Amino acid sequence: MGVTEAQRAQGHTGNLWQSRELIWVSQVLAKHPTHWTILSPYNLTLAVFVQLGLCISRASASVLNLNCSLVLLPMCRILLAFLRGSQKVASRKTRRLLDKSKTFHVTCGVTICVFSVLHVAAHLVNVLNFSVNYTEEFLALNAANYRGEDPRKLLFTTIPGLTGVLMVLVLFLMCTASTYAIRLSNYDIFWYTHNLFFVFYVLLLVHVSGGVLKYQTNLEEHPPGCFHPNTTLQEDIPVPGIFEEPFPEYAPEPFPAEPEPFVQNNVVRICTEEPKFQSHFPETWLWISGPLCLYCAERLYRYIRSYKPVTITSVISHPSNVLELRMRKENFKARPGQYIILHCPRVSALESHPFTLTMCPTDTKATFGVHLKIVGDWTERFRDVLLLRSSQDTEILPNFQQRNYPKLYIDGPFGSPSEESLNYEVSLCVAGGIGVTPFASILNTLLDDWQCYKLRRLYFIWVCREIQSFRWFADLLCMLHNKLWQENRPDYINIQLYLSQTDGIQKIIGEKYQVLNSRLLIGRPRWKLLFDEIAKCNRQAKNELNRRN
Amino acid sequence: MGRIEWAMWANEQALASGLILVTGGIVAVAAQFKGWPFAAYAIAAGVFICLLEYPRGKRKKGSTMERCGQKYLTAVVKVFGPITRNYYIRAILHAALAVPAGFLLSTILGTACLGIASGIYLLAAIRGEEWNPIEQKPQERPQVGGGTIKQPPTMPPPRPPAETRKKQPAEEAGQENPIPVIVEAE
Repeated sequence: MGVTEAQRAQGHTGNLWQSRELIWVSQVLAKHPTHWTILSPYNLTLAVFVQLGLCISRASASVLNLNCSLVLLPMCRILLAFLRGSQKVASRKTRRLLDKSKTFHVTCGVTICVFSVLHVAAHLVNVLNFSVNYTEEFLALNAANYRGEDPRKLLFTTIPGLTGVLMVLVLFLMCTASTYAIRLSNYDIFWYTHNLFFVFYVLLLVHVSGGVLKYQTNLEEHPPGCFHPNTTLQEDIPVPGIFEEPFPEYAPEPFPAEPEPFVQNNVVRICTEEPKFQSHFPETWLWISGPLCLYCAERLYRYIRSYKPVTITSVISHPSNVLELRMRKENFKARPGQYIILHCPRVSALESHPFTLTMCPTDTKATFGVHLKIVGDWTERFRDVLLLRSSQDTEILPNFQQRNYPKLYIDGPFGSPSEESLNYEVSLCVAGGIGVTPFASILNTLLDDWQCYKLRRLYFIWVCREIQSFRWFADLLCMLHNKLWQENRPDYINIQLYLSQTDGIQKIIGEKYQVLNSRLLIGRPRWKLLFDEIAKCNRQAKNELNRRN
Repeated sequence: MGRIEWAMWANEQALASGLILVTGGIVAVAAQFKGWPFAAYAIAAGVFICLLEYPRGKRKKGSTMERCGQKYLTAVVKVFGPITRNYYIRAILHAALAVPAGFLLSTILGTACLGIASGIYLLAAIRGEEWNPIEQKPQERPQVGGGTIKQPPTMPPPRPPAETRKKQPAEEAGQENPIPVIVEAE
C-alpha cells in the first residue's frame, strides 16, 4: 500500500493529464451525475485545481518521508567507519562516496526545507477548503466542525496542525543556524540547535498519527458514483469541496485501468449503505523507524563505549601553541587517519571536540596521541587544566601526579577520507599547518612497518606559516627518512616543506634536522609545476593518484 | 558558550522571516483571500525587513563574511546611526511588525518566525552587542619586490653610472639615448 500510494502521490505533481489522473477525477465527478453529465474540460480543470492542495501536500509528504529517513543515515558515524574499514564489504568507489556523507546530509536537509514549504502551503489551502466547503454529507472526512470555522483555529487545535506548526518552528531554528556563515563564526549555535532534531522527530511521529487522511472501507457496498434512493442531492454544495477525501483505495487490487464501469456506463449502481471511512495507517512510521532506531542504537553504543575514562600518560608542549596529549585505553583500536572526540567534564560539561589521532595504538604499543592547536576557549581551558599540574614541560610524569589529571572521555574512532592514503600506489598528501595531523598518524604507521601496504611512493607537502611549526613532527619525519634510507628505499617518501611567510631571520628548523632543512622552500608551492612533475614521474602508476587534504 | 554572538543568528532569522512574510503575502494577495489587506501589509513589511537585515554586522573578533553586494545597503543602513545600531530598537521593531501579520492564515508562520528573531535580538541587546558596518578596506597598491625596493630607479635602462648621474642633477625624467631611437608609429 505504501509504495503504490507514494507512486501515485508523486505522479500527481508530474503530468496531471496522465490517464490515471483522468480516471480518478472522472470518478470524483461521476459521484454527482446530475451535475456533471458531460466530462467537459472546464469542469475537469476546476476539479483538478481544487484537488491541487491535496495532491501537492501528499506528494511533498512522500518526499519528506524519504528525506527524513535518509538524513539520519550519514550521521551514523560508527557504521560509516565500519564501512570504510572493511575492504571486503565496500568497494573503493563506495568508500569514496562515503567522503561525501556530509554533503549528502546537507542535501537531504535542504530538500526537507524546500518540500516542507510546499507541504505547509498546500495544507494551509486544504485547511481553508475544509472550512469553506464544509458539508453535512461527509462529516467523517472533514476536519472542520462547522462551516466557515476559522482556519487558524483548525490549525492550532488539531494534532496534525499543532505539531506541524511546532515542526516548522523547529525547522526554522535549525535551518537559520546551519548556514555557512553561522557555522564558521559561532559553531555553538549550530551545534545546540541541531540537537533539536530529536524534538523534530518526536513531533513528526505524533503529526502523522492525527488520522485526518481517511480512505473508504466499504467500496463494495457504496462504490463512488452510486445512487442513493433515499436521500436527495443537495443542490448548493460545490462538488469539488466534497472530495477532500483522498482517492478511493481499492484495498486488495491496484488502481483500475479502465474507467468504463463508472463513467461511460449510464447505469449507476445503487448504494446499499453509507460510506464508511477509516484513517490511513501512518506510513511515516515505517519510513522513519528504521534509521531512527539505527541512530539511537549507535548513540547508545557510543555512550557505553566511552563510559570509561582514558589514562593520560603524558602532556607535551610544542611551539606555536600546540599541545600533544598521549593516552592509553584498553581495547582501543584505531586505523591511521581516524579521529576521536574528546570530552572533558572539568573543562566543559556540554562541549566535546574532535581531534585527529596523530599516533595510533599498535600491537606493541598501546599508547595513542593527539595534537591540539590552542585556538578557542575550550582548548585554552583544556591546556590550563592539563598544564597546571606541572610548572614546566615534562615528558613523562611519575605515577603519583597522574591522579591530578582531569577525567577525559573519548568517543570514537571515526573514519575520515585520509584513511585511504595507504590503499593507493602513489599518494600525494598536502597539509597546511595543523592539518598535518592525519598524515602524522600515517607516517607513524609507516615507521612501524611500511612494507605491508599497497603504497609505493608518498609525496608529502607541508605548508606552514611559522618555521617553528615544523618542529611538531620534525623528529618523526627524520626518523622515517632515515629508516627508509637504511632499508634501501630512499624514494619511498618525498618530503617538501614550504614556509609561506618569512621574516627572513630564521631559515632552518634546527641544527639536527639537516634532512628537513635541505627540503625547506620559502614561499607557497607552485602547484601546476608540482602536479606536472609528479604526473610525469609516475606515469606507470594507475590513474588513481590520490590527493588528500 | 561564552563567545557566542547572538546577533548574527538573529540576523539570519530575521532575513528568513522577511522572505516567509513576503511569500505568504503574495499567496494571499494573488488568491484574493478574505483579509488580503493584511497580506499586502505583510509583503511591504517583509521587503522592508529584508532590506534592513541584508547587510551583515561586523563581528567583534575575526573577519565577517559579507553577503553578496551588501555594501550598497550598508551605506544606507549606516546613515540612520543609533537607530539601526542598537539592537533593542530592532527587537521592538520586529515584534511590532510581526503582530499585524498574525491575523491572516498564510502569514501566521511569518509572524512566529519574526517573533523568534525579535526575541534573539533582545538577547543580543542584553549582552551588549551592536551593529557595526563592515567597512571597505582601502586598496593597497601591491608592492613590487615584496617591499624590499625602497627607491626604484626613475630612469629606464640603459642608465649611465651613478657618478655621471650625480653630476647632472637637473636631469629628472628625461633620458639621453646613446643610440638614436627611431619610433615607428603603428
